[in-house]
Amino acid sequence: MSAMPSTSQPVSIRDALYEAPGPKMRAKIRVGTAITAALVALLLGFAVYQFWATGQLNPRYWMFFTQMGTWSYLLAGLRGTLAVALTAGGIALVLGLALMLGRTSGIRVLEAICRIVTDFFRGVPSLLLIYFFFLVVPQYGIRMSSFWMLTLPIALAASGVLAEVFRAGVNAVPRGQTEAALALGLSPFRVKLKIVLPQAIRYVIPSLISQLVVVVKDTTVAYVVSYPDMLQNARVLITNYDALVSTYLVVAVIYILLNYAINQLSVCVARRSGTRVVSRYSTNPA
Amino acid sequence: MGLSELMATYGRNYWEALLSTWGMTAFCFVLVMALAVVVTVMRVSPFKPLRLLGDGYVQVFRNIPGVALLIIIVYALPSLKLVLPYRACVILTVVLVASAFGSENFMTGINTIGVGQIEAARSLGLSFGQMLRRIVIPQALRTTVLPMTNLLIAVLLTTSIGSQVPLDPLELTGVVSYINTRATGGILAFAVSAAGYALTAVVIAFVGNRIDRKVRIVR
Repeated sequence: MSAMPSTSQPVSIRDALYEAPGPKMRAKIRVGTAITAALVALLLGFAVYQFWATGQLNPRYWMFFTQMGTWSYLLAGLRGTLAVALTAGGIALVLGLALMLGRTSGIRVLEAICRIVTDFFRGVPSLLLIYFFFLVVPQYGIRMSSFWMLTLPIALAASGVLAEVFRAGVNAVPRGQTEAALALGLSPFRVKLKIVLPQAIRYVIPSLISQLVVVVKDTTVAYVVSYPDMLQNARVLITNYDALVSTYLVVAVIYILLNYAINQLSVCVARRSGTRVVSRYSTNPA
Repeated sequence: MGLSELMATYGRNYWEALLSTWGMTAFCFVLVMALAVVVTVMRVSPFKPLRLLGDGYVQVFRNIPGVALLIIIVYALPSLKLVLPYRACVILTVVLVASAFGSENFMTGINTIGVGQIEAARSLGLSFGQMLRRIVIPQALRTTVLPMTNLLIAVLLTTSIGSQVPLDPLELTGVVSYINTRATGGILAFAVSAAGYALTAVVIAFVGNRIDRKVRIVR
């Protein structure tokens, strides 16, 4: 797409939209800021009031979070979540790379197959794939543990997206380099292996990291196959302590912080290596 | 069970489920766009509290897993005296999550314009409103066609969380588990739904690419 605006000092575009305000405008902005601050405070206050009015701030809903046992149980669930996410991510990395290589191999039939497979896994919800492994696969007499019933469909869904991310990386390597290498007498296979792939992979590393967020989100349907991930363990806590709202809120905050950290890591790596996160492929909210 | 037998018995369910998925997707996407515009306006407004609220909204809802949000809306909100019908819960979840991504797409679109153009517009004497109408919004819209196409596909796939609550009529993912609890539908029962999703996604991507090629700004 385009390069970043090349001004000497980086001006945020949202500030550049406005002229430097004069005294009248500054006064208006001050008033507006005060009013909007009051509105936001009112909104947050109403939310807290609603918690208080319905008795959800009662200490009995929150005190069990001061016990070590609660946290070690939630952390055990988080370990389950991460085990699935990392395994699925690893499988998807290999599959995605294979699909991309097939799609850019130059062999017509292989290209068509890889294209259909990629589009299929990108166009089908991971939840449907999980139901496939949970409901359909056992009908053919194949027995799987709940870990793999969850990990495989998530890996397949992610591999379709990763194939596209890798392809974007390959496309970002200037064509002249391939042509130069071919002119020097390297075989097409060695050109891909030695020239294109090392650069393409380095280019897409931030996008790969940010895709991990999608994988982590996908693991939250673990209760379908009754695999003990964090959300599943939270459900057990809820039945033990009869504290539904507080437990779900705490778990949601943990998920948000975890995914936020992954996103920040991806941005950080992107900034250090001077590449962009391929955002058009990471707009998958599910 | 063969395809003809499957369709004879459950064809109606599939058709209703497909229409239900399409309907929810279209309805959600309209709300997503509206909410994304509101959030984006908040994020570029000159008022700090609104910016913080908008940024916070995006960070929370782009990072929360859709299923976790759905469970909170379905099971936790009633404890706070807020009860919604199941379909409304699903739609609300999809809209909250997707609008955060929609706002990110809009912000990216605005960011590609470049400070120089804004400064040039101002030097030409354009008012703030003119600048937004003639420079910022048209370019931002044209560069967001492809990301928004992907967002529409993502909304389509996200409506599958509707299978986690009782809906009537079911949507495309729920209908697979419905059929499999009544008969051994085998791989076909799954393939019909999968085809419904994948073909819809292919059509959306095709149309999106066509529009994008027409309006894209080559820099």
